Amino acid sequence: MSNVLIEELGPKGKARVRLWTWIAVAAMVAIGAWILWTLGKQGQLEADRWTEMFAPATLEFLAGGLLNTFRAAVTAGALSIFFGFALAMARIARPAWARALATGYVEFFRALPLLLTIFMVYFGASALGFDLGIFWSLVVALVLYNSAVLSEIFRAGIRSLDKGQTEAAQAIGLPYWPMMRLIILPQAVRRMIPAIIAQMATLTKDVSLGFVISYAEFVARGSRLEAFSEYTTNFQAYVMVAVVYFTLIWAMARIARYFEERQKTQPALAVAEADDEAISVAEEAAAG
Amino acid sequence: MSWSEFFDTYGTRLLEATWETVQMSLLSFAIAIVVGVIIVSFRVSPIPPLVTFATVFVSIFRNTPLLVLFFLAFFGLGELNLVFSGFTTAVVALGLYTGAYMSEALRSGINSVPQGQAEAGRAIGLGFVQLLRLIVIPQAVRTVIAPIGNLFIANAKNTAVALTISAPELTALSRRMINDAAGTWRSLLVVAAIYLVLLLLAGWGFRGFEERYAIKR
Repeated sequence: MSNVLIEELGPKGKARVRLWTWIAVAAMVAIGAWILWTLGKQGQLEADRWTEMFAPATLEFLAGGLLNTFRAAVTAGALSIFFGFALAMARIARPAWARALATGYVEFFRALPLLLTIFMVYFGASALGFDLGIFWSLVVALVLYNSAVLSEIFRAGIRSLDKGQTEAAQAIGLPYWPMMRLIILPQAVRRMIPAIIAQMATLTKDVSLGFVISYAEFVARGSRLEAFSEYTTNFQAYVMVAVVYFTLIWAMARIARYFEERQKTQPALAVAEADDEAISVAEEAAAG
Repeated sequence: MSWSEFFDTYGTRLLEATWETVQMSLLSFAIAIVVGVIIVSFRVSPIPPLVTFATVFVSIFRNTPLLVLFFLAFFGLGELNLVFSGFTTAVVALGLYTGAYMSEALRSGINSVPQGQAEAGRAIGLGFVQLLRLIVIPQAVRTVIAPIGNLFIANAKNTAVALTISAPELTALSRRMINDAAGTWRSLLVVAAIYLVLLLLAGWGFRGFEERYAIKR
């Protein structure tokens, strides 16, 4: 409990903390009760309205939306990691034009609201005569944005390595790509895993923006429930959607945290394995 | 439609929408600062229920999509008989959302303030609130200006989501112009250019702040 700001409390301090604890609890209970009471008065808490949310047909409809959210998230996530990696490589590459191009791309797409990027792909592509369809419009927009963000993460991970790593690799005669593959990336990727997972959680949150181009994802399905139900209103539907979405993203954040904690306690295993291979590649390179 | 016709027709509306976006960004960020300071004070306070409240608040607002929060605010507050315009709802929801991130940024700032500062504050007899207000938060803020600048930019970009609850901001206008057949790419690129200019200005401003006030640890 004690942190930098609070020292061990004396009897008077403890009494004050007790008093404020009671006041805080009372205030929270009062606010909670007021919310429930008002909702009850509006008839929002009637059992019918909520049990309908758990009817098999409703659940199936929502599960279909969740599946669509997953499909878009997984597709966009995999492509973003791939292109983000390529962009990061371009940003640390030797030719100046590759660096400039990649920097321009990253700065442009990071500065735009994702919704505008979605409109750009959805309306823009059809204006140019391509028919991407809703799913791919959303996925392409997510990839344009997230590959830019991920490339920054990758670049930060690579730059966080000690310069001695590059120097040592060059000293044993490794060419550029084997150096990347065997020395730099295995260490950098380990450091980046928590950030990558956190970005995947953000991406999964952002799939909900597919709503605006009427992609049938989870939130969009939730918004349609009201239309074909006698009892359910948007309120019940969005509470349901919020709870499920929260649980999903919260779990992803926990996984990211787990990897972050583990990195602090476990030495780099992958690095030791890569070392052996690096030496043999260096020998081959020297021989060739 | 030529460029001059385009600006004759949409010039005023572009200005209005830009102003709407700017207002929404600034107001919601002001709320986010207040919320962030309050929540982080709860988080580091010695009162257990306040700590729990702050933790739950941050977790909920960080792990739920902004769109869902907007809808919950829009329809939920409606059910509580508190009906606001799309603009007001968006400002408040966005303020709470960014406020949750703000409190985390401030917390990492607080953790970077040397322990001796808090000890010195207590030694001269400051209570918890005074200690935070006079000693710790002023120093904490100055170590996290860069993350707060990033939050400002993220917050400004997130105002676009308000189009879902019919706030007439820039991205909504881009869609309206496309539907009016004002030229798809022209509409998109003009709006994109406005965003780029606004955010470059904001980024430039925060870098100035940082150079002037930041404490490097």
